[in-house]
Amino acid sequence: MDFIVLGQQIINGLVNGMGYVLIATGLTLVFGVLRIVNFAHGEFYMLGAFLTYYALTLFGVDYVAAALLATIAVAGLGIGANRFFFRPLRKEHEFTILLSSLGLSLLIANGAEELFGADPKYVMSPYADEASEIGPFVVTEQRLIVFAAAAVVMAGVYWFIRYTRMGKMMQATAQNPEGAALTGINTDFVHGYTFALACGLAALAGALVAPTAMLFPTVGSWAVLKGFIVVVMGGLGSVTGALLGGLLLGVVESLGGGYISLGFKDAIGYAIIIAVLLWRPQGLFSVSRSTR
Amino acid sequence: MIKGRLPLVVAVLGILPFVVGNAYLQHMLVLWAIYALLALSLNMIVGYLGELTFGHAAFFGIGAYTSAILSMNYGLPVWLGPFAAAIVAAFFGAVIGYVALRIVGPQFAILTLGFGSILYTITNYWVDLTRGPMGISNIPPFSLPGLDIDFTRADRMYYVALVVLLLVAYGCRALMTSRTGRAFIAVRENAPLAASTGIDVFHTKLLGFTIATALAGVGGALYGHYLRVITPDLMSLQYVAALIIMVIVGGKGTIIGPIIGAGIYVALLEALRVVGSLRLVVFAALLTLCVIFLPGGLVSLWRRYAGRQAAGGAS
Repeated sequence: MDFIVLGQQIINGLVNGMGYVLIATGLTLVFGVLRIVNFAHGEFYMLGAFLTYYALTLFGVDYVAAALLATIAVAGLGIGANRFFFRPLRKEHEFTILLSSLGLSLLIANGAEELFGADPKYVMSPYADEASEIGPFVVTEQRLIVFAAAAVVMAGVYWFIRYTRMGKMMQATAQNPEGAALTGINTDFVHGYTFALACGLAALAGALVAPTAMLFPTVGSWAVLKGFIVVVMGGLGSVTGALLGGLLLGVVESLGGGYISLGFKDAIGYAIIIAVLLWRPQGLFSVSRSTR
Repeated sequence: MIKGRLPLVVAVLGILPFVVGNAYLQHMLVLWAIYALLALSLNMIVGYLGELTFGHAAFFGIGAYTSAILSMNYGLPVWLGPFAAAIVAAFFGAVIGYVALRIVGPQFAILTLGFGSILYTITNYWVDLTRGPMGISNIPPFSLPGLDIDFTRADRMYYVALVVLLLVAYGCRALMTSRTGRAFIAVRENAPLAASTGIDVFHTKLLGFTIATALAGVGGALYGHYLRVITPDLMSLQYVAALIIMVIVGGKGTIIGPIIGAGIYVALLEALRVVGSLRLVVFAALLTLCVIFLPGGLVSLWRRYAGRQAAGGAS
């Protein structure tokens, strides 16, 4: 019996963790390629969820189309954010860039509260109420979709970075921007592309996870905190680290929330960041420093 | 920029409550003085040590809770509250700084965010001590030993806050012209170079961080005894952002900048009350515009102007 509870907790944790993975992958890509810690990253998650909601309710498209539309729209917004908030500061100290991203984050979060209203929204997904049983464990279809879609997307991202021309250009820019520019790579274009990809991933996470919970305009700061925790665990700039870190955080939180205290569930994550940054600042899973 | 005009400035600040006349504007003045104190404390870390912290509001909260709890549950005289708050906040600051200052750059910001969030979570859930999300109300108003002054009135509390603010501003100035202050700047500009000239970078930063957290604690104590209600929200990201906005918009690394920044914050908060929550968007835009177009804050406008005047006079 206890074994079943434990198994259920782990499954819930893995599903939550997969959401974190999508958020953190974008954060880690932006850090790896542009050397930017983007405090506003969570806001793109929030925008993804809200645009899905509005596509569903205003345009009446089905859930899958709404999620895709939101993802593409937010990817476009990501290019704009890079153009206006980060590119002008490219040569500045990282401190200035972090402040600019804080400003952007406050701008989007407060703007969204103004625009969308502070009351909670429910994203209706046809899969949200269908429970499916796997052996003794129960998972809603929506949560299965979160896991499966995220797994497919992550495999795609990995393949993209590893084997496509664009992915290789991103790797080159991450390793040495000047060197990449010398070989004829348009690093400005790569930066914009990376931002689009990162923000698209965050928006997709929002679109997928939104139907499993209530949606508030303030959810962005929650998302970016989870992203930070995962990225710090996995090592800034590492995609594999984000994958492992996200799943680990999901499971640890789920078990901590179940067996210790639900109230301190969020504090577990912060305790992890502190321990990791002090003990292994390069991340738990990195063998050596991944880039530079 | 106010050199030589300091007595005049102090005199103007001193008669301000009489000038504005009404109790509500006096209340704004008190808030300004307290926020200015907090902004000065954050400026110590952001402006002088050159590290960005996202956990500063936690020390503000620790100060407020320390003074409130000690005076309500343990009979500590209220005027000792700010001192106790400074000590407790400095203790937390020293411990957290000792751990966190080994890391620099964006990771330091994330780490302080983590510590701040843990302190917030503890305050929110340790209901026996802090009464949790309900907060503490009916905190005794500020008082001075042997004097029967009603400090619930804004025009009187203003002088308390103003005196503390001026003392802290003077202290900051004295510190920054001292050897220690120059060490802060050296560490900010180039830590390895500073280390090569014999400055102990880590302990210099720890000292600055601890002083800053102690001052934030004093601000928290004054705030708690003035408003007489505190909730864990004092430690939330909202206050972190507000303090950062004051320092950056006013001008980091100066003494007058954060004080002006706090004034602008309080004034805008009031002036924009009609537009409701849209004002938060305005603040965010102000922060972003300053970061991108005016990195020295509003104070640098004055310098630019004064510099042009001087250049014009010379030619």
